[in-house]
Amino acid sequence: MRKYWQIAKGRMQENTAYSAWYWAGTLASVMRLLIIYFFWQAVYANQTTIQNINLETMLTYIVIAMLLQGFVGGVGNELAENIKEGQVAIELMRPYDMIFKMFAVDVGEKVMYLIQGTIPMILIAYFFMDLSFPKSPETILLFVVSALVGIWIGTFFDFLVGVLAFWTVNVWGVRVLKETLITFFSGALVPITLFPDWLRTITEFLPFQAMVYLPVSIYSGLITGTEAYMALGVQLFWLISLYVLVRGIWSQAIKQITIFGG
Amino acid sequence: MRRYTKLYWEFAKSHMKVMMEYRIDFLIGVASVMLEQFASIFFVKVVFDHIEQINGWSFYEILFIYGIAATGRSIHQIFFDNLWTLGWQYIRPGKLDRLLIRPVNPLFHVVADRLHQDGFGQLIIGLIILGTAIPQLDLVWGAAEIAMLVIMIISSGLIFVAINLFFATFSFWMIDSLPIVWAVFNLSDFARYPLTIYHKGIRMFLTWIIPYGFTAFYPAAYFIDKSGYKEFALWTPVAAIVCCVLAYAFWNRGLKAFASTGS
Repeated sequence: MRKYWQIAKGRMQENTAYSAWYWAGTLASVMRLLIIYFFWQAVYANQTTIQNINLETMLTYIVIAMLLQGFVGGVGNELAENIKEGQVAIELMRPYDMIFKMFAVDVGEKVMYLIQGTIPMILIAYFFMDLSFPKSPETILLFVVSALVGIWIGTFFDFLVGVLAFWTVNVWGVRVLKETLITFFSGALVPITLFPDWLRTITEFLPFQAMVYLPVSIYSGLITGTEAYMALGVQLFWLISLYVLVRGIWSQAIKQITIFGG
Repeated sequence: MRRYTKLYWEFAKSHMKVMMEYRIDFLIGVASVMLEQFASIFFVKVVFDHIEQINGWSFYEILFIYGIAATGRSIHQIFFDNLWTLGWQYIRPGKLDRLLIRPVNPLFHVVADRLHQDGFGQLIIGLIILGTAIPQLDLVWGAAEIAMLVIMIISSGLIFVAINLFFATFSFWMIDSLPIVWAVFNLSDFARYPLTIYHKGIRMFLTWIIPYGFTAFYPAAYFIDKSGYKEFALWTPVAAIVCCVLAYAFWNRGLKAFASTGS
């Protein structure tokens, strides 16, 4: 009897390991929402607007930005590990395009994340906070398109960082570096309009704002009308440029493999 | 004790060699951690460009809170970072069994197995933040105050260690408690801002249950009179010692209950 109990226990341990990550992630998101909520409440305690943004719009922006940022990551991590462990050599022999294969994996993961992670969080956020909805269906449509493009830009960028594993050993450090750059310059923490002028100018020339700031600004009404369509144009520019870059660097990296594999 | 000091030195020496071998990676690690910290401070700065104070706290006062947290955390990150890996590097692959038959304290062995390079970035940025914030605060600094600051920072570091140790210990029962450790560690983000901005329930929780409040806010409040927590802040070192004792006792219990994965 005892051995069967051990088997049952082993399976329970395995399962909790996976679901534990889910609950840990949910808990961490809820905590971030709480910090955001109380922090901005305190910031707005003595004023009604900052740069013409009121508390409701600000909270809407920050919360949507936080949720969207969860999708901006991608397959870079897995790719880096594949490279480190040499798995990539076998992957390359398989009858598919490795880049597309990675993106397919990524889409699967993000759909699950949307269902398990984001939708519950949206419900919690809208239930407990005073967040606003976009005014027109056109805005919603624009936001969805813009968010999808932003997510793809993030995925491409992540792929580029993952490929760096061919050249560096401290993959963890590079990841932290990447995440910091994205968190900061994407406008995930605070609308870029609040940045000092010089920094805003720099940000406008970087691809990061196209990942979070532009879509979320469309959603929360910071960018409207023709400006919204212009923003979408900027995003498309980055999407295409990064894709070209991904292809270019990947073909370079593959040449590197033959050196590694000897 | 002397044996352990010597042993730790031997461990540390070999880590240094590894670090020097991968110099670029060492620099990437340090730089990335520094940039990470810098970004979150810059966020606070951007917000303060548009307002005067948050809940009565000025920019430099918040920076001061932040600096204590960052410096305290660096102690934890440099010397005790390996606690994170207890589950997947020791228990799951059965490596812990090997440690258990060696004539050293297993906790010591796990801790000494790694000296985390990126923690030095944390330390540097923590000191820079403190160095920026302190001259801007209206404080008189004598030897007593400096000694107190050092005690507070060490206490802060010990609380980080104790909380991680406590939750890492769950690995003895569930093989890898990393998700729990990570989720709890996230709570320390609350401690970046004055606890007074939060709901009372959160404040109580961060003081009495998971005492991250003692890693930054209370130590900082000791030096800032108007906070009204000057006396309460004196409990910080006591809280640190209590946390360490509890966490170590729990670790020993876990070790007793431990059954190997057998792999």
